[in-house]
Amino acid sequence: MVEEKTYNHLWEILSEVPDPEIPVINLVELGVVRKIEEDPDEDKITVTITPTYTGCPAKKLFDDLIREKLLEHGYKNVEIISQLHPVWSTDWLSDETKNKLMAEGISPPTIGDKIITCPHCKSTDTKMVSHFGSTPCQSLYTCNQCLEPFNYFKCY
Amino acid sequence: MKITIENTEAKFIIRLADTSVILGQRLAEMCSRGPFLEEDIALSNISLDLFGRAEELYKIVAKLDRNKFTPDDYVYKRNEREYYNLKLVEQPNDDFAYVIVRQFMHDVYVKEVFTQLLKSSNAELAGLAEKVLKEIRYSYLHCKDWMNRLGLGTEESNRRMQSAVDHLMKYVEEIFNFDDLDKKYLTDCEKLKTVWNNEIETTLNESNLKRNLVAPLTMRDYRDGFHSEHMGHLLSIMQYLPRAYPDAKW
Repeated sequence: MVEEKTYNHLWEILSEVPDPEIPVINLVELGVVRKIEEDPDEDKITVTITPTYTGCPAKKLFDDLIREKLLEHGYKNVEIISQLHPVWSTDWLSDETKNKLMAEGISPPTIGDKIITCPHCKSTDTKMVSHFGSTPCQSLYTCNQCLEPFNYFKCY
Repeated sequence: MKITIENTEAKFIIRLADTSVILGQRLAEMCSRGPFLEEDIALSNISLDLFGRAEELYKIVAKLDRNKFTPDDYVYKRNEREYYNLKLVEQPNDDFAYVIVRQFMHDVYVKEVFTQLLKSSNAELAGLAEKVLKEIRYSYLHCKDWMNRLGLGTEESNRRMQSAVDHLMKYVEEIFNFDDLDKKYLTDCEKLKTVWNNEIETTLNESNLKRNLVAPLTMRDYRDGFHSEHMGHLLSIMQYLPRAYPDAKW
């Protein structure tokens, strides 16, 4: 089972690459890394990634960060394929990842952007200030209970 | 370098790509000039979406034309008459009302266009359509909200919105003068027109705004590369750096 071990090993390596804008979560958790293939004969790694948003300024940075991390572990021959399908979705974020976001002060996505919880006092009595926030994937909210502003990770 | 587009489907897709990049440039001009911070951020974010969408569309165009040119070639090395964007989106940011009405008219249009392209036989285009529809939704809701707020706001805000609607409506007629390419790649051109008219009229009505009869402009079609006088000025700013320093790298 050498092959599977290598496979898991590569996923672990890429789990060390933080999202450039929300460093508390990594590219694997975010669902950006879709597939990792290793060709031992040619000593080559092929990573398939999917962009979160078409206009995400971090898109190019994803490539560079993945290459850099694999190079650190001795993988020099790396090909990165960007595919749009299946379309990236916030549904891919696990509960664990959503909890991490909440702990970081970013309210995680909820279906249909319906119930938005304040990451500070956990009240759901919140209101939107702007659809658009500090990054393309976040909206700006404020809590009606503790009056603190916070970011909400938009549902895509 | 003369940029040519040979593939028929590429000729259709580049219209969407050009419309996206030119509107993105217009909104980028608003960066640091928004009426307040949150709105400034919103317009810049929508601009980013439009540039990202354009890049993906140009990649599909390039692939269909056997990668003779790159997305950057299409954006930076074509002249005015070689661009195929809607005249609507090249209109200047004369007033915040113009920015919002232009964006709303555009969003209602692309929302239906990409909905139809979900059924495209080109898998990449269909996949991209699915992705951008999620992004268009936020811009669309944002602008619809402004249409209502400003239309129903003060006498002054209503007057300025009506003036933007009356002016920008002049550039709408050409959108629906469908040609063979539109008919080939969209599933239902007439539906696009009906959906657009209905939705615009509903939003105008609920915002205390009117769709006045406007004299159509005697300008030739965007599909043949014809533009209003604003396009050249926009390109001269957008293309200045790569034309002055062709080897410049980030």
